[in-house]
Amino acid sequence: MLKLVFLAVQDHAPAAQEHASGPLTVEGGLMLWTIVVFLLLLAILKRFAWPAILGAVEAREQALERQLAEAAHDREQAAAILAEHQKLIAEAKTQAHAIIVEARSVADKDRAHAIEKTKAEQEELLARARREIAAERDRAVAELRRDAVDVSLAAASKLIEKRLDGETDRKLVQDFLVTLDERP
Amino acid sequence: MTRFGRSVTLAAALSMSALGAGGAVAAQEHGGVADVARDAVAPASQQEASENQIDIAHHLGNAHEIETPFGILHLPQWEPLHVGGLAIDLSPTKHLVFMLAAAAIVALTFLLSARAVAQAQAQGRPAKGFAGSMEALALYIRQEVVLPNVGHHGEGFAPYLLTLFFFILVMNILGLLPWGATATGNISVTAALALMAFITIEVAGMRTLGWKGYLNTIFYLPPGLPGPLKPIMLVIMTPVEIIGKLSKPFALAVRLFANMTAGHVLVLALIGLTFLFKSYMVGVLASLLATSIMLLELFVAFLQAFVFTLLTSVFIGLMRAEH
Repeated sequence: MLKLVFLAVQDHAPAAQEHASGPLTVEGGLMLWTIVVFLLLLAILKRFAWPAILGAVEAREQALERQLAEAAHDREQAAAILAEHQKLIAEAKTQAHAIIVEARSVADKDRAHAIEKTKAEQEELLARARREIAAERDRAVAELRRDAVDVSLAAASKLIEKRLDGETDRKLVQDFLVTLDERP
Repeated sequence: MTRFGRSVTLAAALSMSALGAGGAVAAQEHGGVADVARDAVAPASQQEASENQIDIAHHLGNAHEIETPFGILHLPQWEPLHVGGLAIDLSPTKHLVFMLAAAAIVALTFLLSARAVAQAQAQGRPAKGFAGSMEALALYIRQEVVLPNVGHHGEGFAPYLLTLFFFILVMNILGLLPWGATATGNISVTAALALMAFITIEVAGMRTLGWKGYLNTIFYLPPGLPGPLKPIMLVIMTPVEIIGKLSKPFALAVRLFANMTAGHVLVLALIGLTFLFKSYMVGVLASLLATSIMLLELFVAFLQAFVFTLLTSVFIGLMRAEH
Protein backbone atom coordinates (compact mmCIF):
# COMPACT_ATOMS: atom_id res chain seq x y z
CA MET A 1 0.00 0.00 0.00
CA LEU A 2 2.70 2.54 0.99
CA LYS A 3 4.67 2.57 -2.10
CA LEU A 4 6.38 5.44 -3.81
CA VAL A 5 5.72 5.18 -7.46
CA PHE A 6 8.06 7.30 -9.39
CA LEU A 7 6.48 7.67 -12.73
CA ALA A 8 9.22 9.37 -14.61
CA VAL A 9 8.30 11.11 -17.82
CA GLN A 10 4.62 10.49 -17.63
CA ASP A 11 2.89 11.98 -20.62
CA HIS A 12 0.27 14.44 -19.45
CA ALA A 13 -0.97 15.48 -22.88
CA PRO A 14 -4.36 13.82 -22.68
CA ALA A 15 -4.76 14.81 -19.03
CA ALA A 16 -4.20 18.47 -19.82
CA GLN A 17 -7.76 18.75 -21.00
CA GLU A 18 -9.13 17.35 -17.75
CA HIS A 19 -7.34 19.11 -14.91
CA ALA A 20 -5.89 22.56 -15.32
CA SER A 21 -2.23 22.17 -16.12
CA GLY A 22 1.31 21.36 -15.15
CA PRO A 23 4.13 23.85 -14.60
CA LEU A 24 5.26 23.95 -18.19
CA THR A 25 1.94 24.86 -19.74
CA VAL A 26 1.82 28.28 -21.31
CA GLU A 27 -1.61 29.69 -20.50
CA GLY A 28 -2.57 32.70 -22.57
CA GLY A 29 -5.15 33.77 -20.02
CA LEU A 30 -2.69 33.78 -17.14
CA MET A 31 -0.15 35.70 -19.23
CA LEU A 32 -2.80 38.28 -19.98
CA TRP A 33 -3.77 38.44 -16.32
CA THR A 34 -0.13 38.81 -15.28
CA ILE A 35 0.32 41.78 -17.61
CA VAL A 36 -2.92 43.39 -16.44
CA VAL A 37 -2.15 42.87 -12.74
CA PHE A 38 1.40 44.08 -13.09
CA LEU A 39 0.49 47.19 -15.07
CA LEU A 40 -2.27 47.98 -12.58
CA LEU A 41 0.12 47.56 -9.67
CA LEU A 42 2.73 49.68 -11.46
CA ALA A 43 0.16 52.41 -12.13
CA ILE A 44 -1.01 52.47 -8.50
CA LEU A 45 2.49 52.48 -7.01
CA LYS A 46 3.83 54.97 -9.54
CA ARG A 47 0.97 57.32 -8.77
CA PHE A 48 0.71 56.98 -5.00
CA ALA A 49 3.72 55.21 -3.49
CA TRP A 50 7.00 55.76 -5.31
CA PRO A 51 6.91 59.57 -5.43
CA ALA A 52 6.62 59.75 -1.63
CA ILE A 53 9.29 57.12 -1.02
CA LEU A 54 11.76 58.20 -3.71
CA GLY A 55 10.80 61.88 -3.73
CA ALA A 56 13.01 62.94 -0.84
CA VAL A 57 16.06 61.24 -2.32
CA GLU A 58 15.34 62.59 -5.79
CA ALA A 59 14.90 66.09 -4.39
CA ARG A 60 18.14 65.72 -2.46
CA GLU A 61 19.94 64.48 -5.57
CA GLN A 62 18.64 67.35 -7.64
CA ALA A 63 19.57 69.85 -4.92
CA LEU A 64 23.07 68.37 -4.78
CA GLU A 65 23.42 68.51 -8.53
CA ARG A 66 22.20 72.09 -8.58
CA GLN A 67 24.58 73.02 -5.77
CA LEU A 68 27.47 71.39 -7.57
CA ALA A 69 26.66 73.30 -10.74
CA GLU A 70 26.33 76.50 -8.74
CA ALA A 71 29.65 75.87 -7.01
CA ALA A 72 31.35 75.31 -10.35
CA HIS A 73 29.79 78.48 -11.71
CA ASP A 74 30.83 80.44 -8.62
CA ARG A 75 34.36 79.12 -8.86
CA GLU A 76 34.55 80.17 -12.49
CA GLN A 77 33.26 83.60 -11.62
CA ALA A 78 35.73 83.93 -8.76
CA ALA A 79 38.57 82.97 -11.09
CA ALA A 80 37.40 85.54 -13.63
CA ILE A 81 37.16 88.23 -10.97
CA LEU A 82 40.60 87.34 -9.64
CA ALA A 83 42.09 87.55 -13.14
CA GLU A 84 40.42 90.92 -13.63
CA HIS A 85 41.76 92.19 -10.32
CA GLN A 86 45.24 91.03 -11.18
CA LYS A 87 44.99 92.81 -14.50
CA LEU A 88 43.79 95.96 -12.77
CA ILE A 89 46.64 95.82 -10.24
CA ALA A 90 49.15 95.32 -13.04
CA GLU A 91 47.67 98.25 -14.94
CA ALA A 92 47.77 100.43 -11.84
CA LYS A 93 51.39 99.50 -11.29
CA THR A 94 52.40 100.43 -14.83
CA GLN A 95 50.42 103.63 -14.54
CA ALA A 96 52.12 104.55 -11.27
CA HIS A 97 55.49 103.81 -12.80
CA ALA A 98 54.69 106.00 -15.79
CA ILE A 99 53.55 108.78 -13.47
CA ILE A 100 56.76 108.57 -11.41
CA VAL A 101 58.92 108.62 -14.54
CA GLU A 102 57.04 111.56 -15.94
CA ALA A 103 57.23 113.44 -12.63
CA ARG A 104 60.94 112.82 -12.46
CA SER A 105 61.48 114.11 -15.99
CA VAL A 106 59.32 117.15 -15.31
CA ALA A 107 61.26 117.89 -12.12
CA ASP A 108 64.55 117.51 -13.98
CA LYS A 109 63.37 119.87 -16.67
CA ASP A 110 62.14 122.34 -14.07
CA ARG A 111 65.44 122.29 -12.23
CA ALA A 112 67.42 122.75 -15.41
CA HIS A 113 65.13 125.56 -16.37
CA ALA A 114 65.51 127.23 -12.96
CA ILE A 115 69.27 126.92 -13.11
CA GLU A 116 69.36 128.44 -16.56
CA LYS A 117 67.08 131.21 -15.51
CA THR A 118 69.22 131.95 -12.47
CA LYS A 119 72.33 131.94 -14.60
CA ALA A 120 70.75 134.33 -17.09
CA GLU A 121 69.59 136.62 -14.37
CA GLN A 122 73.02 136.56 -12.80
CA GLU A 123 74.63 137.38 -16.10
CA GLU A 124 72.22 140.15 -16.76
CA LEU A 125 72.89 141.50 -13.28
CA LEU A 126 76.62 141.35 -13.92
CA ALA A 127 76.24 143.03 -17.28
CA ARG A 128 74.17 145.78 -15.79
CA ALA A 129 76.69 146.26 -13.05
CA ARG A 130 79.41 146.43 -15.60
CA ARG A 131 77.46 148.86 -17.67
CA GLU A 132 76.79 150.98 -14.64
CA ILE A 133 80.44 150.88 -13.59
CA ALA A 134 81.45 151.90 -17.08
CA ALA A 135 78.95 154.73 -17.11
CA GLU A 136 80.12 155.84 -13.68
CA ARG A 137 83.69 155.77 -14.80
CA ASP A 138 82.87 157.75 -17.96
CA ARG A 139 81.00 160.28 -15.93
CA ALA A 140 83.83 160.45 -13.42
CA VAL A 141 86.32 160.92 -16.23
CA ALA A 142 84.20 163.64 -17.80
CA GLU A 143 83.81 165.32 -14.43
CA LEU A 144 87.50 165.03 -13.77
CA ARG A 145 88.20 166.55 -17.10
CA ARG A 146 85.88 169.41 -16.42
CA ASP A 147 87.45 169.84 -13.02
CA ALA A 148 90.87 169.64 -14.56
CA VAL A 149 89.98 172.33 -17.06
CA ASP A 150 88.60 174.42 -14.23
CA VAL A 151 91.68 173.84 -12.13
CA SER A 152 93.88 174.49 -15.12
CA LEU A 153 91.97 177.64 -15.90
CA ALA A 154 92.21 178.77 -12.34
CA ALA A 155 95.88 178.03 -12.31
CA ALA A 156 96.22 179.71 -15.61
CA SER A 157 94.33 182.75 -14.47
CA LYS A 158 96.65 182.86 -11.46
CA LEU A 159 99.55 182.67 -13.79
CA ILE A 160 98.04 185.20 -16.09
CA GLU A 161 97.47 187.52 -13.21
CA LYS A 162 101.11 187.39 -12.46
CA ARG A 163 102.59 187.46 -15.94
CA LEU A 164 100.57 187.63 -19.05
CA ASP A 165 103.08 186.45 -21.34
CA GLY A 166 101.31 185.88 -24.51
CA GLU A 167 101.76 183.13 -26.86
CA THR A 168 104.24 180.96 -25.09
CA ASP A 169 102.13 180.38 -22.07
CA ARG A 170 99.03 179.59 -24.04
CA LYS A 171 100.88 176.95 -25.90
CA LEU A 172 102.14 175.47 -22.71
CA VAL A 173 98.57 175.11 -21.36
CA GLN A 174 97.35 173.62 -24.55
CA ASP A 175 100.09 171.07 -24.59
CA PHE A 176 99.34 170.22 -21.08
CA LEU A 177 95.67 169.72 -21.93
CA VAL A 178 96.56 167.39 -24.74
CA THR A 179 98.50 165.26 -22.34
CA LEU A 180 95.49 165.17 -20.12
CA ASP A 181 93.43 164.01 -22.99
CA GLU A 182 95.82 161.21 -23.67
CA ARG A 183 95.63 160.09 -20.09
CA PRO A 184 92.70 157.83 -19.46
CA MET B 1 -3.18 26.04 -24.79
CA THR B 2 0.02 24.29 -25.59
CA ARG B 3 1.51 21.54 -23.62
CA PHE B 4 5.27 21.79 -23.27
CA GLY B 5 7.25 18.67 -22.69
CA ARG B 6 6.41 16.09 -20.16
CA SER B 7 5.97 16.47 -16.46
CA VAL B 8 7.31 14.33 -13.76
CA THR B 9 4.80 12.80 -11.44
CA LEU B 10 5.90 11.72 -8.06
CA ALA B 11 3.31 9.48 -6.65
CA ALA B 12 3.76 8.69 -3.02
CA ALA B 13 1.69 6.71 -0.66
CA LEU B 14 0.80 8.65 2.43
CA SER B 15 0.40 7.70 5.99
CA MET B 16 -1.14 10.29 8.25
CA SER B 17 0.54 8.81 11.30
CA ALA B 18 4.00 9.25 9.87
CA LEU B 19 3.50 12.97 9.61
CA GLY B 20 4.12 13.40 13.34
CA ALA B 21 7.75 12.64 12.75
CA GLY B 22 8.16 15.67 10.56
CA GLY B 23 9.48 19.00 11.76
CA ALA B 24 7.80 22.34 11.40
CA VAL B 25 8.32 22.38 7.69
CA ALA B 26 6.87 18.97 7.21
CA ALA B 27 3.89 20.02 9.26
CA GLN B 28 3.54 23.12 7.11
CA GLU B 29 3.68 21.15 3.96
CA HIS B 30 1.52 18.49 5.41
CA GLY B 31 -1.77 20.17 4.74
CA GLY B 32 -0.95 20.83 1.12
CA VAL B 33 0.59 17.48 0.51
CA ALA B 34 -2.21 15.61 2.17
CA ASP B 35 -4.86 17.54 0.31
CA VAL B 36 -3.15 17.07 -2.97
CA ALA B 37 -2.67 13.45 -2.26
CA ARG B 38 -6.28 13.02 -1.40
CA ASP B 39 -7.54 14.84 -4.43
CA ALA B 40 -4.93 14.01 -6.95
CA VAL B 41 -6.45 12.64 -10.04
CA ALA B 42 -3.17 11.56 -11.46
CA PRO B 43 -3.10 10.11 -14.91
CA ALA B 44 -1.02 7.42 -13.33
CA SER B 45 -4.21 6.04 -11.91
CA GLN B 46 -3.77 2.86 -13.86
CA GLN B 47 -0.90 2.29 -11.50
CA GLU B 48 -1.43 1.08 -7.98
CA ALA B 49 -2.07 3.32 -4.94
CA SER B 50 -3.95 5.82 -6.98
CA GLU B 51 -5.65 7.43 -3.99
CA ASN B 52 -2.46 8.14 -2.04
CA GLN B 53 -0.24 10.04 -4.40
CA ILE B 54 1.72 13.24 -4.27
CA ASP B 55 1.39 14.64 -7.72
CA ILE B 56 4.23 17.16 -7.65
CA ALA B 57 3.41 18.38 -11.11
CA HIS B 58 -0.13 18.99 -10.02
CA HIS B 59 1.00 20.66 -6.80
CA LEU B 60 3.29 23.02 -8.66
CA GLY B 61 1.03 23.52 -11.62
CA ASN B 62 -1.91 25.78 -12.01
CA ALA B 63 -5.44 24.67 -11.14
CA HIS B 64 -8.99 25.92 -10.96
CA GLU B 65 -9.10 25.17 -7.28
CA ILE B 66 -7.22 26.34 -4.19
CA GLU B 67 -6.17 24.15 -1.31
CA THR B 68 -7.08 25.76 1.97
CA PRO B 69 -6.83 24.49 5.54
CA PHE B 70 -10.61 24.01 5.35
CA GLY B 71 -10.72 22.04 2.16
CA ILE B 72 -10.69 22.69 -1.53
CA LEU B 73 -12.01 25.98 -2.82
CA HIS B 74 -13.27 25.64 -6.34
CA LEU B 75 -12.86 28.70 -8.51
CA PRO B 76 -15.42 29.60 -11.13
CA GLN B 77 -14.63 28.53 -14.64
CA TRP B 78 -15.64 30.60 -17.59
CA GLU B 79 -15.86 29.74 -21.23
CA PRO B 80 -12.57 30.55 -22.97
CA LEU B 81 -12.56 33.61 -25.21
CA HIS B 82 -11.84 32.84 -28.81
CA VAL B 83 -9.61 35.44 -30.40
CA GLY B 84 -8.90 34.28 -33.89
CA GLY B 85 -7.66 30.74 -33.58
CA LEU B 86 -6.56 31.24 -29.98
CA ALA B 87 -8.65 30.17 -27.03
CA ILE B 88 -7.86 32.36 -24.03
CA ASP B 89 -9.19 31.09 -20.73
CA LEU B 90 -9.57 34.10 -18.47
CA SER B 91 -11.19 32.23 -15.60
CA PRO B 92 -9.38 32.60 -12.25
CA THR B 93 -6.80 29.99 -11.31
CA LYS B 94 -4.73 29.21 -8.24
CA HIS B 95 -1.73 31.13 -9.54
CA LEU B 96 -3.85 34.11 -10.51
CA VAL B 97 -5.32 34.24 -7.00
CA PHE B 98 -1.86 34.20 -5.43
CA MET B 99 -0.62 36.75 -7.95
CA LEU B 100 -3.51 39.03 -7.04
CA ALA B 101 -2.73 38.45 -3.37
CA ALA B 102 0.90 39.38 -4.00
CA ALA B 103 -0.14 42.51 -5.89
CA ALA B 104 -2.50 43.46 -3.07
CA ILE B 105 0.20 42.92 -0.44
CA VAL B 106 2.74 44.98 -2.40
CA ALA B 107 0.22 47.76 -3.06
CA LEU B 108 -0.92 47.88 0.56
CA THR B 109 2.63 47.74 1.93
CA PHE B 110 3.89 50.59 -0.17
CA LEU B 111 0.79 52.75 -0.01
CA LEU B 112 0.96 52.60 3.79
CA SER B 113 4.75 53.01 3.79
CA ALA B 114 4.50 55.98 1.45
CA ARG B 115 2.00 57.63 3.76
CA ALA B 116 4.19 57.02 6.82
CA VAL B 117 7.28 58.25 4.96
CA ALA B 118 5.47 61.38 3.78
CA GLN B 119 4.28 62.08 7.33
CA ALA B 120 7.76 61.56 8.72
CA GLN B 121 9.24 63.85 6.09
CA ALA B 122 6.70 66.53 6.84
CA GLN B 123 7.89 66.39 10.45
CA GLY B 124 11.50 66.54 9.27
CA ARG B 125 12.58 63.16 10.62
CA PRO B 126 13.40 59.89 8.87
CA ALA B 127 10.69 57.24 8.68
CA LYS B 128 10.84 54.65 11.45
CA GLY B 129 9.88 51.01 11.80
CA PHE B 130 8.34 49.03 8.97
CA ALA B 131 7.84 52.01 6.67
CA GLY B 132 11.47 53.00 7.24
CA SER B 133 12.73 49.54 6.35
CA MET B 134 10.55 49.43 3.22
CA GLU B 135 11.88 52.84 2.24
CA ALA B 136 15.45 51.65 2.81
CA LEU B 137 14.82 48.51 0.72
CA ALA B 138 13.30 50.54 -2.13
CA LEU B 139 16.15 53.06 -1.97
CA TYR B 140 18.71 50.25 -1.95
CA ILE B 141 17.23 48.81 -5.15
CA ARG B 142 17.14 52.25 -6.71
CA GLN B 143 20.67 53.29 -5.73
CA GLU B 144 22.52 50.00 -6.09
CA VAL B 145 20.62 48.16 -8.82
CA VAL B 146 18.75 50.60 -11.03
CA LEU B 147 20.93 53.71 -11.25
CA PRO B 148 24.39 52.12 -11.74
CA ASN B 149 23.13 49.68 -14.38
CA VAL B 150 20.57 51.65 -16.36
CA GLY B 151 23.00 54.53 -16.69
CA HIS B 152 22.35 58.17 -17.43
CA HIS B 153 18.82 59.29 -16.50
CA GLY B 154 17.96 55.88 -15.06
CA GLU B 155 15.55 57.51 -12.57
CA GLY B 156 12.68 57.09 -15.02
CA PHE B 157 13.00 53.30 -14.88
CA ALA B 158 13.04 53.15 -11.09
CA PRO B 159 9.23 52.85 -10.59
CA TYR B 160 8.98 49.97 -13.09
CA LEU B 161 11.99 48.10 -11.73
CA LEU B 162 11.01 48.64 -8.09
CA THR B 163 7.48 47.38 -8.76
CA LEU B 164 8.94 44.40 -10.62
CA PHE B 165 11.26 43.53 -7.74
CA PHE B 166 8.65 43.67 -4.98
CA PHE B 167 5.96 41.96 -7.08
CA ILE B 168 8.24 39.02 -7.88
CA LEU B 169 9.57 38.92 -4.30
CA VAL B 170 6.12 38.67 -2.74
CA MET B 171 4.97 36.08 -5.30
CA ASN B 172 8.09 34.03 -4.49
CA ILE B 173 7.51 34.28 -0.74
CA LEU B 174 3.81 33.43 -0.96
CA GLY B 175 4.85 30.09 -2.46
CA LEU B 176 6.78 29.24 0.69
CA LEU B 177 3.77 29.63 2.98
CA PRO B 178 1.64 26.62 3.86
CA TRP B 179 -1.13 26.15 1.30
CA GLY B 180 0.63 28.77 -0.75
CA ALA B 181 1.30 28.60 -4.45
CA THR B 182 4.16 30.15 -6.35
CA ALA B 183 2.86 32.16 -9.23
CA THR B 184 6.45 32.73 -10.36
CA GLY B 185 6.77 28.94 -10.60
CA ASN B 186 4.46 29.14 -13.59
CA ILE B 187 6.14 29.70 -16.95
CA SER B 188 3.15 31.76 -18.15
CA VAL B 189 3.66 34.30 -15.36
CA THR B 190 7.42 34.57 -15.80
CA ALA B 191 6.98 34.68 -19.58
CA ALA B 192 4.54 37.58 -19.25
CA LEU B 193 6.94 39.41 -16.90
CA ALA B 194 9.81 38.74 -19.31
CA LEU B 195 7.67 39.94 -22.24
CA MET B 196 7.11 43.24 -20.43
CA ALA B 197 10.83 43.44 -19.65
CA PHE B 198 11.55 42.79 -23.34
CA ILE B 199 9.19 45.57 -24.44
CA THR B 200 10.70 47.91 -21.84
CA ILE B 201 14.23 47.13 -23.01
CA GLU B 202 13.41 47.63 -26.69
CA VAL B 203 11.36 50.80 -26.13
CA ALA B 204 14.13 52.21 -23.94
CA GLY B 205 16.52 51.47 -26.81
CA MET B 206 14.28 53.19 -29.37
CA ARG B 207 13.84 56.26 -27.18
CA THR B 208 17.53 56.64 -26.40
CA LEU B 209 19.06 55.68 -29.74
CA GLY B 210 16.36 56.97 -32.08
CA TRP B 211 14.97 54.98 -34.99
CA LYS B 212 18.23 54.88 -36.88
CA GLY B 213 20.25 53.89 -33.85
CA TYR B 214 17.67 51.29 -32.87
CA LEU B 215 17.59 49.67 -36.31
CA ASN B 216 21.37 49.59 -36.07
CA THR B 217 21.02 47.16 -33.18
CA ILE B 218 19.21 44.73 -35.50
CA PHE B 219 20.88 45.35 -38.85
CA TYR B 220 24.40 45.94 -37.69
CA LEU B 221 27.14 46.88 -40.14
CA PRO B 222 30.56 47.60 -38.66
CA PRO B 223 32.05 50.83 -40.01
CA GLY B 224 34.67 50.37 -42.70
CA LEU B 225 33.24 47.11 -43.99
CA PRO B 226 33.92 46.71 -47.74
CA GLY B 227 30.79 46.94 -49.91
CA PRO B 228 30.59 43.37 -51.23
CA LEU B 229 30.72 42.01 -47.68
CA LYS B 230 27.72 44.05 -46.49
CA PRO B 231 24.92 41.73 -47.67
CA ILE B 232 26.76 38.69 -46.32
CA MET B 233 27.23 40.44 -42.98
CA LEU B 234 23.53 41.36 -42.88
CA VAL B 235 22.39 37.84 -43.75
CA ILE B 236 24.55 36.28 -41.06
CA MET B 237 24.36 38.88 -38.31
CA THR B 238 20.70 39.92 -38.41
CA PRO B 239 19.36 36.56 -37.14
CA VAL B 240 22.14 36.54 -34.54
CA GLU B 241 21.15 40.00 -33.31
CA ILE B 242 17.48 39.02 -33.16
CA ILE B 243 18.27 35.80 -31.30
CA GLY B 244 20.40 37.89 -28.95
CA LYS B 245 17.44 40.16 -28.25
CA LEU B 246 15.00 37.28 -27.70
CA SER B 247 17.33 35.14 -25.62
CA LYS B 248 17.53 37.75 -22.86
CA PRO B 249 13.82 37.69 -21.89
CA PHE B 250 13.73 33.93 -22.54
CA ALA B 251 16.56 33.47 -20.05
CA LEU B 252 14.79 35.76 -17.57
CA ALA B 253 11.56 33.77 -17.82
CA VAL B 254 13.19 30.35 -17.58
CA ARG B 255 15.61 31.33 -14.80
CA LEU B 256 12.88 32.57 -12.49
CA PHE B 257 10.48 29.72 -13.33
CA ALA B 258 13.11 27.01 -12.96
CA ASN B 259 14.51 28.37 -9.70
CA MET B 260 11.10 28.61 -8.09
CA THR B 261 10.04 25.19 -9.34
CA ALA B 262 13.25 23.35 -8.50
CA GLY B 263 13.20 24.26 -4.81
CA HIS B 264 9.60 23.15 -4.42
CA VAL B 265 10.27 19.86 -6.19
CA LEU B 266 13.20 19.28 -3.85
CA VAL B 267 11.21 20.03 -0.69
CA LEU B 268 8.34 17.81 -1.81
CA ALA B 269 10.71 14.99 -2.76
CA LEU B 270 12.45 15.18 0.63
CA ILE B 271 9.15 15.05 2.47
CA GLY B 272 8.09 12.21 0.22
CA LEU B 273 11.10 10.25 1.46
CA THR B 274 9.54 10.11 4.92
CA PHE B 275 6.50 8.37 3.58
CA LEU B 276 8.55 6.15 1.32
CA PHE B 277 10.68 4.73 4.12
CA LYS B 278 8.08 5.02 6.92
CA SER B 279 10.90 5.51 9.37
CA TYR B 280 11.31 8.06 12.20
CA MET B 281 15.03 8.32 11.46
CA VAL B 282 14.42 9.12 7.83
CA GLY B 283 11.54 11.39 8.83
CA VAL B 284 13.73 13.47 11.17
CA LEU B 285 16.56 13.59 8.64
CA ALA B 286 14.30 14.41 5.74
CA SER B 287 12.56 17.12 7.77
CA LEU B 288 15.88 18.68 8.73
CA LEU B 289 16.94 18.58 5.12
CA ALA B 290 13.61 19.97 3.99
CA THR B 291 13.93 22.75 6.59
CA SER B 292 17.36 23.73 5.32
CA ILE B 293 16.09 23.62 1.75
CA MET B 294 13.20 25.86 2.81
CA LEU B 295 15.69 28.33 4.30
CA LEU B 296 17.61 28.16 1.05
CA GLU B 297 14.33 28.71 -0.78
CA LEU B 298 13.72 31.83 1.31
CA PHE B 299 17.09 33.12 0.21
CA VAL B 300 16.40 32.10 -3.39
CA ALA B 301 13.07 33.95 -3.28
CA PHE B 302 14.95 37.19 -2.56
CA LEU B 303 17.84 36.32 -4.85
CA GLN B 304 15.72 35.56 -7.90
CA ALA B 305 13.61 38.69 -7.50
CA PHE B 306 16.87 40.61 -7.20
CA VAL B 307 18.44 38.84 -10.19
CA PHE B 308 15.39 39.42 -12.40
CA THR B 309 15.44 43.13 -11.52
CA LEU B 310 19.21 43.42 -11.81
CA LEU B 311 19.35 41.71 -15.20
CA THR B 312 16.46 43.78 -16.53
CA SER B 313 18.37 46.90 -15.40
CA VAL B 314 21.55 45.63 -17.02
CA PHE B 315 19.76 44.81 -20.27
CA ILE B 316 18.13 48.26 -20.37
CA GLY B 317 21.53 49.83 -19.72
CA LEU B 318 23.20 47.70 -22.40
CA MET B 319 20.50 48.54 -24.91
CA ARG B 320 20.75 52.25 -24.21
CA ALA B 321 24.54 52.23 -24.51
CA GLU B 322 24.45 50.07 -27.67
CA HIS B 323 26.95 50.88 -30.42
